[in-house]
Amino acid sequence: MTDKLARSTIQPKNPVLNVSRSANLPHVPGIRVGDYIFLSGMGPIDPQTGERNHGPIAEQVRTTLANMRHMLESAGSSLERVVRIHVVLADISGFAEMDRVYREFFPADPPARTVWSMQLRFGNGCEIECVALAG
Amino acid sequence: MPATRSVIAPAARAPGGPGTLDQSASMIVRGGDFLFVSGLTAIDSTTGAQMRGTTASETRQVLTQLKQLLEAAGSSLDKVVKVNVLLHSMLEAPNMNEVYGKFFPDPPPARTVCGARLPDGVKVIIECTALA
Repeated sequence: MTDKLARSTIQPKNPVLNVSRSANLPHVPGIRVGDYIFLSGMGPIDPQTGERNHGPIAEQVRTTLANMRHMLESAGSSLERVVRIHVVLADISGFAEMDRVYREFFPADPPARTVWSMQLRFGNGCEIECVALAG
Repeated sequence: MPATRSVIAPAARAPGGPGTLDQSASMIVRGGDFLFVSGLTAIDSTTGAQMRGTTASETRQVLTQLKQLLEAAGSSLDKVVKVNVLLHSMLEAPNMNEVYGKFFPDPPPARTVCGARLPDGVKVIIECTALA
């Protein structure tokens, strides 16, 4: 029938944002398979220094979503192509602040979204993952 | 040709105003052959307000909404491939399961259940991916 779907790795153009590599973690930033892109959970990494940005939750969300945009655009996709997103907060009381910043990034026709809170690693206040259509 | 993305069910404009759950999210987005459904919370079908009840009653309400949403989008519960259920307490999993089992055909879809902190005192959130 159809050919087997090709599976390839997604890398950010800015190598500072390749946390999988810099922290020697057993995952890749993302995988493209067929028409879909699956990104790993992303945290608030400063794109200049590679340090974690542990400021107010609004700043952490802004940094993380800006990095997600970079990651998707590095793969020829974009935030406008995101179909599903998971926003995980360390503290659910940051929901309103998260949401305020989130809307700046998805002003129209936003993706399907689920938000919850659970323990996160590295002291991150948020971790965001998504599924997007390839470009 | 790249797969097409389209919003099937737009963001809910719940009467509760800011802080209600789904205003920043489309309810269903289609990408290629799949429908991606947002994490749904129980909404009172007459008033449109957020509904708070037991884990069982919220589960029943959410799955009723999910069924309606999918059918309005031309899909159905028997085309669901993966479900994620978030519960405010894993101790409530049996109460969720008892209701959940009545909604899906045999064999039911793949599923993950997690206990997590949920926004606004919600007890159950359910999201899924289905075939269009």
